[in-house]
Amino acid sequence: MKLTKARALILIAFSVPVAIELRTVAGFFNVELPLIAVAVIEFLFLALLFVLYGLYGEGSESAA
Amino acid sequence: MATESGGSEFVDTFPDEAAIIKASFLIAFVSLGIGAFFGLIQALHRTNVLRVIDSADYYTLLTGHGVLLAIVFTIFFLCGVFHWAVARSLDRPAESALFSWAWVGLMTTGTVLATVAILGGLVPNLGMSADVLFTFYAPLQAHPIFYIGLAMFIVGTWLAGADWFLSYRAWRQDHPDERIPLQTFMVLTTMIMWYISTLGVAVSVVFFLIPWSLGLIESVNPLLTRTLFWYFGHPIVYFWLMPAYLLWYTVLPKLAGGRLFSDPLARVVFLLFLLLSTPVGIHHQYLDPGIAEGFKFIAMTNTMFLLLPSLLTAFTVVASVEHGARQRGGEGYLRWLGALPWRDPAFTGMALAGAMFAAGGFSGMINAGMNINYLIHNTLWVPGHFHLTVGTAVALTMMAGSYWLVPQVTGTKLYSRPIGLLQVIMWFVGMVFMSNAMHRAGLAGIPRRTAEPQYQNFEFLTPIGSIFELRVQIALGGTLLFLSVVLFLFNILLTSLGEESDRPVDSYLPEPLSGPEGSPRILDNLAMWTGIAAVLVVLAYTLPLAGIIQNGGGLFGGGLPVPATVSAGFDLVLTTVTSAFNTLWGVVA
Repeated sequence: MKLTKARALILIAFSVPVAIELRTVAGFFNVELPLIAVAVIEFLFLALLFVLYGLYGEGSESAA
Repeated sequence: MATESGGSEFVDTFPDEAAIIKASFLIAFVSLGIGAFFGLIQALHRTNVLRVIDSADYYTLLTGHGVLLAIVFTIFFLCGVFHWAVARSLDRPAESALFSWAWVGLMTTGTVLATVAILGGLVPNLGMSADVLFTFYAPLQAHPIFYIGLAMFIVGTWLAGADWFLSYRAWRQDHPDERIPLQTFMVLTTMIMWYISTLGVAVSVVFFLIPWSLGLIESVNPLLTRTLFWYFGHPIVYFWLMPAYLLWYTVLPKLAGGRLFSDPLARVVFLLFLLLSTPVGIHHQYLDPGIAEGFKFIAMTNTMFLLLPSLLTAFTVVASVEHGARQRGGEGYLRWLGALPWRDPAFTGMALAGAMFAAGGFSGMINAGMNINYLIHNTLWVPGHFHLTVGTAVALTMMAGSYWLVPQVTGTKLYSRPIGLLQVIMWFVGMVFMSNAMHRAGLAGIPRRTAEPQYQNFEFLTPIGSIFELRVQIALGGTLLFLSVVLFLFNILLTSLGEESDRPVDSYLPEPLSGPEGSPRILDNLAMWTGIAAVLVVLAYTLPLAGIIQNGGGLFGGGLPVPATVSAGFDLVLTTVTSAFNTLWGVVA
């Protein structure tokens, strides 16, 4: 499945509530996740998405 | 569902109706812009990020934000949608364009009067203010012009409903044996619910609040005006929501590339909303001391029944969207999601709105539960909840729907699809930040409806994170939401100024997979459903209202006596109901 700009935007949008509630979910298991850890995880997700978009996104050779 | 007539565009087939719809949308969008700006100022002020107003003026802007967005934007927009839906699904124009302009004019005049009264609060020397918030019951008092404006607005909506019923009556004479077209069925059931529910606010405004604000009576019974407000205040939620449902049921499946899964199921859902929307308002009053706990328990039970049509909707709409995805080549248990038209802002906006509505439904169950409601009552949790429901499920659906509807009534192509897509996603992300923080702040006990949420010698504590983080989240979310509105208005403005096109949008709506043919005709018996809805309202409200009037100092409060005839009437009702209950109990025992 081609990673279009629209699909990438949707994935980014849905990553925001997941990131925000990550500390709450971790808290259920007595894991205190600092805010910076959530920021790093979200940043890594965005970086991964960016790489995937470069490899398989619109206009890439793989997608073509 | 009737399909597009003759293949021509709506604006060409129904030019008078298109003009009415454009006028309704214009007032809705102007209100949206002003209301959203007030919201930004509030978000930055409350969180102490940027303060450009005095805290005393916060309540003026809060009232403006609530009234302009929750009443004017939503209802003007839904009037436009309903006018479109009735004309296209009955395939006939309104009976009288002059009558249509009359309700637009009355609603507009009411809006201007109420807005002037609200904004008058920013000019101290004017002697006019209406800092009564969206929930405009006593003891807060507004300038009479505010109440008169609202009364005119409500009467305008009644006339709009009459306009659509007249169209239906004329259509019925030509089609005596046909089922009511689905979109018209949705409009009519919604308007019946609205007529029943607005009786409460009409009585409150006309008989109590206007005479009180004019000084004709000395006092009012505050609990009575609160109860009459919430008699209307909860069904208005469904008045906002049902046009969004109309778009989810009849437009979203088409945008997804498919067809509505079940027409009869959609009819059942709208009938359930007609029956259950009104006899639940007391669930907003769990902490009001003048209402017996038993009535609150009944309201809670009725409210939980309201989950049924929402869950039916979740099933039907998702099934329809999945059908669309599979028509587009989608496969697998979840991979079909990738086949949906995510580039289309109309589809994406409505889909995101639906997803957030699910979250709003969950927080709504917390509000509706009598015991757990005590935890979050009057905290920031509640605005967090309704920013998911009316603020996203409804508002985002309306904005997304505009990307498909506005070209139909202007005859011009959408200015920019990428900007539209960015706008709906920005709304989703902004609302995730703001609403999430509001819910969590509410759990920490932070109150709503205040410019100064902090107390001396007291610190709110959150189990995870900090209050500072929540404040930043609210400010960031509010800013993103305002920018999203700016993008929306910019896109719509340039769309309406664009060159006319022969085919601005694909406006064809396909027939449902399961049509109305096999469903019982009793579903279309609107008189019977109206009667049942009225009986349910009488059962839910007669005794609580009698108690409020008898125990709360009479109809007008302040210890003023209840008129003898009214008192005798209440005594008769109480005696009759008690006797009937005792008899029934004797039979059962």
